[in-house]
Amino acid sequence: MIRLQNIEKVYRTDTVETLAVNGISLDVAKGEFLSIMGPSGCGKSTLLNIMGLLDEPSKGIIRIDDQDVSKFSDQQLAKFRNKKLGFIFQSYHLINDLQVIDNVELPLLYRASSAKERKDLATEALEKVGLSNRLRHFPNQLSGGQRQRVAIARAIVGKPQIILADEPTGNLDSAMGNEIMEILINLNKNDGTTIIMVTHDENMAHKTHRLVRLFDGSQVV
Amino acid sequence: MLKNYFKIAIAVLKRRKFFTFISLFGISFTLTILMVATAFTDKMFSPDYPDYKRARSLYITRVQLENSKDGWINVSSASYHLLSKYISKLKTPEKVAIFTFSSPANTYINNKKLVIEYKYTNADYWDVAEYQFLEGKPYSKQQIEQAAHVAVITAATRKNYFGDVATAVGKYIEADNVSYRVVGVVKDLPRTLRNFYADLYLPYTVSKSDYKEVGLLGGYGAVLLARSEAEMPKMKAEYEQMIAKVPHGDKEFDLMYVNADTSLEAFSRNIFGNGANSGIWLMITIMSLVILLFLLLPTINLININITRIMERSSEIGVRKAFGASSRTLVYQFVVENIILTLLGGLIGVVLSIIVIYAFNQSNLVPNLSLSLNLTVLSFGLVICLLFGLLSGVYPAWRMSRLNVVTALKSQ
Amino acid sequence: MFKHLFKLIWNKRKQNFLFLSEILVSFMVVFAVFSSLVFYYQNYSKPRGIAYERVWAVSFNNSLKIKDADSLKMFFENVRTNIKSLSKVQEITYSSSNFPYANSHSTTGFTSNGRKYDRINTYFTEDTYHTVLSMNLSEGRWFNNTDGVNKYNPIVINDALKKAMFGTESAVGKLIGDEENAKMKVIGVVQDVKADGDYLTAGYAMYNRIDTGSRKWIGDILIKVSPDADAAFESKLYKVLANNIKNSNIEIVHLSEIHDAKNGDVIFPMTIFIIIAGFLIINVALGLFGVLWYNISKRRGEIGLRRAIGASGRSVSYQLVSESLILATLALIVGTFFAIQFPLLNVFNIASSVYLVALLLSLLFVYLLVFLCSLYPGKQAAAIHPAVALHEE
Repeated sequence: MIRLQNIEKVYRTDTVETLAVNGISLDVAKGEFLSIMGPSGCGKSTLLNIMGLLDEPSKGIIRIDDQDVSKFSDQQLAKFRNKKLGFIFQSYHLINDLQVIDNVELPLLYRASSAKERKDLATEALEKVGLSNRLRHFPNQLSGGQRQRVAIARAIVGKPQIILADEPTGNLDSAMGNEIMEILINLNKNDGTTIIMVTHDENMAHKTHRLVRLFDGSQVV
Repeated sequence: MLKNYFKIAIAVLKRRKFFTFISLFGISFTLTILMVATAFTDKMFSPDYPDYKRARSLYITRVQLENSKDGWINVSSASYHLLSKYISKLKTPEKVAIFTFSSPANTYINNKKLVIEYKYTNADYWDVAEYQFLEGKPYSKQQIEQAAHVAVITAATRKNYFGDVATAVGKYIEADNVSYRVVGVVKDLPRTLRNFYADLYLPYTVSKSDYKEVGLLGGYGAVLLARSEAEMPKMKAEYEQMIAKVPHGDKEFDLMYVNADTSLEAFSRNIFGNGANSGIWLMITIMSLVILLFLLLPTINLININITRIMERSSEIGVRKAFGASSRTLVYQFVVENIILTLLGGLIGVVLSIIVIYAFNQSNLVPNLSLSLNLTVLSFGLVICLLFGLLSGVYPAWRMSRLNVVTALKSQ
Repeated sequence: MFKHLFKLIWNKRKQNFLFLSEILVSFMVVFAVFSSLVFYYQNYSKPRGIAYERVWAVSFNNSLKIKDADSLKMFFENVRTNIKSLSKVQEITYSSSNFPYANSHSTTGFTSNGRKYDRINTYFTEDTYHTVLSMNLSEGRWFNNTDGVNKYNPIVINDALKKAMFGTESAVGKLIGDEENAKMKVIGVVQDVKADGDYLTAGYAMYNRIDTGSRKWIGDILIKVSPDADAAFESKLYKVLANNIKNSNIEIVHLSEIHDAKNGDVIFPMTIFIIIAGFLIINVALGLFGVLWYNISKRRGEIGLRRAIGASGRSVSYQLVSESLILATLALIVGTFFAIQFPLLNVFNIASSVYLVALLLSLLFVYLLVFLCSLYPGKQAAAIHPAVALHEE
């Protein structure tokens, strides 16, 4: 599904060059639930961004769904992200000025879809995360766990093949974190969605199929 | 504490140079326009050459006859008859200046046309108005009684008519096909002084139209000069009593208004008022509304920018709150900051005003009208500045004080 | 997408309130400027109705001691003959003091067919008046010497008054006025004369022929001179006038000069008005620009997210520009509601078309302003790197 070959990422400022990712090659199979662990600054978020096509590698090749995406234009990349990828963030990144349902509909706005279709899909996604009774709330009226579930609904509403989760449980207590994890596992099991999750939490990581450890930009396990 | 605020204010201004620029631009430009307008108004209403005695002068410039049944109104200046027979008989005034409003006549020198505005006056006119004589002196009472063909001219007329000569007294000037001997030359004055402006001053007795004609309407105006400011109410009272007894003469009109006004009243009556009402409050209302409307846009703009500034500083506010600053101190801090900003803008505004006023004086758009930034204008500018600073600072400060500490701290 | 943006703006209406009011007030300022400009331009584009070149106006403030009507007529004819005999005088007419571009106005009103007509400029003229001023007849004829003996007072009216009274019908021969002893007969219609300068409307006008009754009020002469008339000739003319009209203050002005002065009366305050409005608009533009720019930096997270879930850079900048335009639309709807009251209530008695054109121009202007002010911030937003923006918090 995702194939990384010898990926390198260098951040340059005027005086310093930082090697964030150093020659990582990684294959993620279709339907796999992969977790990435490592201390702060080890490059795991950079790697996730590269896989999510939010960032370009300095070197190396990424193939997603057997397509070489390194030559994609901005428009093509946007379309690709919209169709194939879903994102979940530690700090949710919900738009506070929009109601829950509108937040979830967001990805559908960037593709051809009717209002009714959007509403149906968003409601369906919210049902999946157990929030069908909160459609008309604003994000700041919800608890952290509920917010993250809205973010998951948003990630799956476009029925992507891959979900990239950046410490989805990082801001939550363990009960809520487990709940979120439960939802992700079910998504992976029932819908066959490929999930790549960055986490700090050993317990969460052990619930996934495979664990990759990074240290100083390199893969250690 | 204040010094601390000042430091922070300067630091904040430096941090967001673009916003600082926008704020200062808005404030300074708004203030420039208001200050130039004030300088102009100040010039119009405060005592100025040659009309230095405004505080103890009443002006009679207008006679209004009204038929209250049909609503006909006839407005004109007064006749010489009305002014000399009734008004110059008053006891309280020290002097009564009688004059016509200037009207143009042509004269031709070396096949060049010169338009000369001439004005007829009595002898008291030269005591009421303090013209500065560059040479010679005004015509005397005797010369007026003898209907002598003598004239006082302005420096500009001397230059236009005689060329660059050192002295014109004793020479003859021809205007409207009549020759007059020049007895005095006075310093130029701006046209905006309707009661006093002319290029050529003549004794009223040489007037071509008959000044003895009986009737209320004519081409004359008058200034009543009280002995002191304290006597102004007494003079006004005596005047009112006397004017009420003047027969209307004309059967067509049942109401007559001849007002003796202060310079401000005379101005407002001409534009906003009528015989019965000096229109001074209407004028003040309209002026204030205009100023407020004019201030509205820059104020909203500044409020907008201020809110933006505050939101940007929300983490600073959060920290201050967390460490014990009360909402009131924060509001106080921000208002002070904003006033510092406005005063800074005001300072630039003063510099700009000086430039604009200099340019205006140089351009000679209104000849002989020389504006200046005096204490009145500057203090008005300061008041406007503070008002502006308060208006645009209070609402954003209130918004700021209501910021929740936790969210404020969270957003970087 | 539109609905989505609308929701976003609506839910932020409290924050946007000041932004909206700023656009609203700017719109009103722009509307005022454009209304004046359109008004002046519409008037300017209409013909002048006269040719003022080489026409001189003589004022002799009629303080003549001649009380007897016949002697007065004799006196007037004498002066006329003496002036006409001068070589460079082409034509001459007596006139009331409200000749074109003069500061004097004389208006009247009457009731005709039960309808009241007000604010009609009334001119007292002679048979040569329209020749001196090169006026254009649209219908009928100007006065001639057969007009002295009619039962009804003959008058010439202008196009504007004719249109108001008779519409497209012909006006010549019509009787005007409901009072039996004050009926007037229209003998001609002339093109509107913009007597207050090129930028103001002509209004209604009615021309009378000077007769015994009105002659004692006449104190002005209009003279058309030949192209070679210079200051030397003017000086000579002045002497002739002064010798003929004794005991009078005489002034000669050129219509071209007072024409320019009249135009200046409009242009000068308008220039100041435009300069002030221009500064206000620059002020607002900078403010809008600043606030939009800041808003974008505040919304980096949201923008990054939108990019992550599949918005292209272009669609993000498109979104931000559209948001500003929708905001502007909200303010403009309110503004238009106020602006539309001017033509509806017929404020200042100005043609509705002026307000409507001004309204359209102002809408366009404000949209353009907001568009330009949001273009750069929009571009900035498109350049936001999603990976960076999403990890800032």
